[in-house]
Amino acid sequence: MSRQSWTVQRSFWTGLFPFLLLLSLVLLALLPSRLTGIDPLSQHARLVLAPPLTPGHPLGCDFLGRDLWSRLVSGSLVSLAAGLGVGLLSTLIGGVWGILSGFLGRPWDPVMMRTLEIWYALPEILIATLLMLFLGHGLLAVVVALSIGGWMGVARVLRAETLRLREAIFMDAARATGVSPVRLVFRHFLPNVMPVVAVMVLFRIPGGILGESTLSFLGLGLAPPQASWGVLVNEGWKALPVSAFMLIWPAAFIVLSLVSFQLLADRLGRRAGVGR
Amino acid sequence: MRRVLSRLSSSFLLLWAVFTLTFLLTRFAPGNPFAQGRHLPPEVMANLMKVYHLDQPLWVQYLLTLRQTLEGNLGVSYKAAGIPVSDILLQTLPVSLTLGSAALLVSVLLGLAGGLLIGVGSPLLSRTLRWTTTLLVGLPSFLLAAVLIDLLALRGGLFPVALWEGWRSAVLPVIALSVAPAGYLARVFAASMEETLESPFYRTAVAKGLGPFRRITFHLVLPSLNAVLSLLGPLAAAFLTGSFVVETVFAIPGMGRVFVLSVMNRDYPLIMGTTLVYTVFLTVAVLLGDVLSEAVDPRVRAV
Repeated sequence: MSRQSWTVQRSFWTGLFPFLLLLSLVLLALLPSRLTGIDPLSQHARLVLAPPLTPGHPLGCDFLGRDLWSRLVSGSLVSLAAGLGVGLLSTLIGGVWGILSGFLGRPWDPVMMRTLEIWYALPEILIATLLMLFLGHGLLAVVVALSIGGWMGVARVLRAETLRLREAIFMDAARATGVSPVRLVFRHFLPNVMPVVAVMVLFRIPGGILGESTLSFLGLGLAPPQASWGVLVNEGWKALPVSAFMLIWPAAFIVLSLVSFQLLADRLGRRAGVGR
Repeated sequence: MRRVLSRLSSSFLLLWAVFTLTFLLTRFAPGNPFAQGRHLPPEVMANLMKVYHLDQPLWVQYLLTLRQTLEGNLGVSYKAAGIPVSDILLQTLPVSLTLGSAALLVSVLLGLAGGLLIGVGSPLLSRTLRWTTTLLVGLPSFLLAAVLIDLLALRGGLFPVALWEGWRSAVLPVIALSVAPAGYLARVFAASMEETLESPFYRTAVAKGLGPFRRITFHLVLPSLNAVLSLLGPLAAAFLTGSFVVETVFAIPGMGRVFVLSVMNRDYPLIMGTTLVYTVFLTVAVLLGDVLSEAVDPRVRAV
């Protein structure tokens, strides 16, 4: 009995903590200039590598004398947007593929699943790196490349969900009452897969954030002077011999956001009955 | 056996698809591979385009490259002019393979140990490890690499900062590469053991009073091992993508670095060569994983 209530309480806190963290990150990203009041691109020769807690620059300055706090905040918007973009776009691609495959059945389903398996054999970053060749630098290019690289898992889950729902009693009932196929899909089917779709978006967001930062870190994603967590980590890594904090701040943001998104996605996934 | 054959045929399909996609991507990519950072007289440029058949129609280029590749000739690098791609690959592949297999070994050992401790350890230990592995899975390899370099190489002076000379220079890259997969493996293994704990045969083993060693080894660990073996393919992919990053960070002359640089330089033959070699390795790894898990677990064979 006591064990039971303790479990509930623990899961409440493990859910609240990442949620609050992410909420503050998003707020931070959406209110950039108001919080910092400093142009993230303005350079000051006197402030080069200023340590944290320098007056006016709470987190210090980078090797060009740019304020790190404002760069981090403006980078947060880019990185979170990349994560959300990848989450939405890869779920859209994978969702359309998986649901179509599940609904069409033979002869299309085996062909589509075979294609998916072939694509699945290649890791996301390999595909994305090759695509960056073609797409060039920029946030949209990164989002598109990572989404094309990583929609396959989503397609698999949504195909399985489609196959399950197709045979559900409420679908049979709708069919029996003579509902048109379009209405069947939009009115009866789609609202019922939406929870799974939402979980898949959440599952893919950390992948997008990690992918963006990996690509940018390698110098293949977003290009400086635009700030994102990946670009900042890249700059921080280059400056590592002279100062560690240029790396520590963006690193902390990446790890905290990845872990929070993963915890939230796991929880929501368990609630919606979708395993990873 | 038939499964393996059908897998093999589909890997040839995969190789062809990857070849075609890579070819199209490189040929439609904006920018000229020879116009990077320098200005060439038009005659020189025309000559270069002619030497590398880049002035031909697309389908002629495609067939030429396809025939060359089928003959086992991967062409000559554009950037390191005159050096055959196969030479570059032969030099860098062993480095990446050594790094990858060492990381695979370390991560499997760590993952199994971690999973076992989560599964059968005391509640406190189990909970601590569960949290640690959650954090580790979310830890990008470049971050870990940077922290390791700062603490152990720059400040501690225990290991070399970069390059690939002797076993000491392999320690930090292997750690950076294997920690996140180890965390993931531990979680998967622990989850698989949790399922086994509920199974009738395990409860029978408990009920008939089997000693803890035999019970855990034969009735818990071995039946749960299959979840880990089937991850071999995805793991290979993880080490591959990890090696892009880790080799760049540690300036290791491996294939991951060559791949990233070739994409930056638009070195078409080199991009094609590395991508094809990667694809071959990934399919072999997935195939090996399947064969292994079939050999170990009769339940997989039956399906």
